[in-house]
Amino acid sequence: MFNKPQAYLTKVFIQIFLRNKQYIIFSLILPILILGIVGLNDGDSDPIDIGLVDNSKSNLSKQLTEQLTMNNLFNVKEDSEDKLREDLVNGDLMIVLIIPDAMNIEANNLNIKLLVDKSQVQFMQTIQPILNQSLLSIERQITGNTPMFKLVIEDVKSRTLSYIDFLLPGIMAFMLMNLSIAGSGFNVVEFRRRGILKRLFVTPIKPIDFVIAIVIARMVIVLGQLSIIFSFALFILDANIVGSIFNLYFVIMLGVLMFLTLGFSLGSLAKSQESVGVMATIFIYPQLVLSGVFFPLESLPLFIQPFAEILPLSLVADAMRSIANDGLQLFDIVRNFIGIALWIVIGMIISTKLFVWKEVAG
Amino acid sequence: MPIIKANNLVKRYKDSDDSKKYLKAVDGISLSINAGEIYGILGPNGAGKTTTLEMLEGLKDIDEGTAFINSIDVSVNPYKVKQIIGVQLQANEYFDNMSLSELLNLFSALYSSPNNSMELLDKVNLGDKANAKANELSGGQKQRFSIACALVNNPLVLFLDEPTTGLDPQAKRSLWDLVLDLNKMGMTIVLTTHNMEEAQILCQRIAIMDYGKIIAEDTPQNLILQYAPDKEREVVQGNMEDVFITLTGHGLRD
Repeated sequence: MFNKPQAYLTKVFIQIFLRNKQYIIFSLILPILILGIVGLNDGDSDPIDIGLVDNSKSNLSKQLTEQLTMNNLFNVKEDSEDKLREDLVNGDLMIVLIIPDAMNIEANNLNIKLLVDKSQVQFMQTIQPILNQSLLSIERQITGNTPMFKLVIEDVKSRTLSYIDFLLPGIMAFMLMNLSIAGSGFNVVEFRRRGILKRLFVTPIKPIDFVIAIVIARMVIVLGQLSIIFSFALFILDANIVGSIFNLYFVIMLGVLMFLTLGFSLGSLAKSQESVGVMATIFIYPQLVLSGVFFPLESLPLFIQPFAEILPLSLVADAMRSIANDGLQLFDIVRNFIGIALWIVIGMIISTKLFVWKEVAG
Repeated sequence: MPIIKANNLVKRYKDSDDSKKYLKAVDGISLSINAGEIYGILGPNGAGKTTTLEMLEGLKDIDEGTAFINSIDVSVNPYKVKQIIGVQLQANEYFDNMSLSELLNLFSALYSSPNNSMELLDKVNLGDKANAKANELSGGQKQRFSIACALVNNPLVLFLDEPTTGLDPQAKRSLWDLVLDLNKMGMTIVLTTHNMEEAQILCQRIAIMDYGKIIAEDTPQNLILQYAPDKEREVVQGNMEDVFITLTGHGLRD
């Protein structure tokens, strides 16, 4: 099956790649940078800077101030209202709480004024419940009421998942996509434009020999690159992989195969180097947003989720995450494999129908 | 005994202005080229020379007609034909970052033939460039290298598509010597050219193509006697360029 021309061509493709040092470095820099930034910043979340104006100076207000200061969630700064307003506008503070001068033990239904910057409105939606909750528990402590309920959160998967653990499979899936598309689609169009493809087909090799060689070479190259990223995340950033590494590499290999075939179809559809660039952008960027690489798919609008789930990158990223984060076995993610297989079939149909091997002159 | 035999070759293209219409790039060409011959195809740009070669080489489908090389049907067995021919294309770009000897080794491997890259490079006078990259070569060196690539399988027939276009006189002469040497060793050579002197010096027979058809075919000497008689009386005789202009007219082509 694997004949001499195929083996030699495979060797040459790998050789050409290894000699392009610049490309190797640049293809590794971005994922390492992203993982590095996230990994090094992966401690407890930063406390929220809040300002506090105590107009009452009563025992009660002092108690509240004390409780807020002790809370790890907040970093409290006390000052005059004017000074703190300025800090808020400058973005040094997230919110400013103003305790009214009428605050004492007899007062009921007191309004504590909250100054915010409307541009942070998105952030406010997240922080307001936390703030309310904190104020409520502080109130309980001060008034001595015992709370009726308490929520105990327990992770059923009993693991400690940090953002880098979530990010790692996604970044790897994304990198796998980019490298495979660039390695097949771009390469083929470039080879065709420069007449290299035609030169190859002057010899008695068949198109399938060329395809097999480029697929195997790219597979080796992408696995190598991903292994570097992987080692960086595991050994330097202390990321955790729950499931089997073998299963993960199995998914990676299927993913490479899928994106190579899809890359070939992009290369077949595109007539020029410019258009393959635009088409690759159209193919890659929506998936960057819609495939749950950087944040979970569930955070997308409901109507778009079913569409997002069947994107090639979603299928791979989800399969890799299921193994890496949840420790699932291969048979647990059969649905992903069916999806990936369908995309491979689609890619093969497009590239064999449209890639006119005979008219390689372009 | 002809080694190349083509009968009524036709190649159609879709008209770029009207997709329902077809244009004939090659319109019923028949060729009979003998073993050991240097055969030239002349013609203005767009006459169909390259398309004709590419049909013979198995690079383009033959829409109508038949072509046989060494009695192998090109349409039926293109890979067998590719095994016994050597081809030099107009565009000669190669993979980046590979040396000449590495490229020759690659092409040898694609024919599954033993590699003899140094011998080939010596043959085309590039022995000292074995470790150079293809894009570092001058125009003449590039053309010689692409002939070396076409020789890796020790072919019976060598196709050269405008081998001397863009070369300076020295590089051109050195390439002519190479072609004559290869021919002396028994290789059949089919070449296209715009250079009339080249056709006259190298080719034993010449076909002149225009608008997809062969409009004349003979030895250079006979073509001159037949189509350039005026100059013949004035000076000694006209040359191949006079033949060419007489046959294809003076109007500029693309």
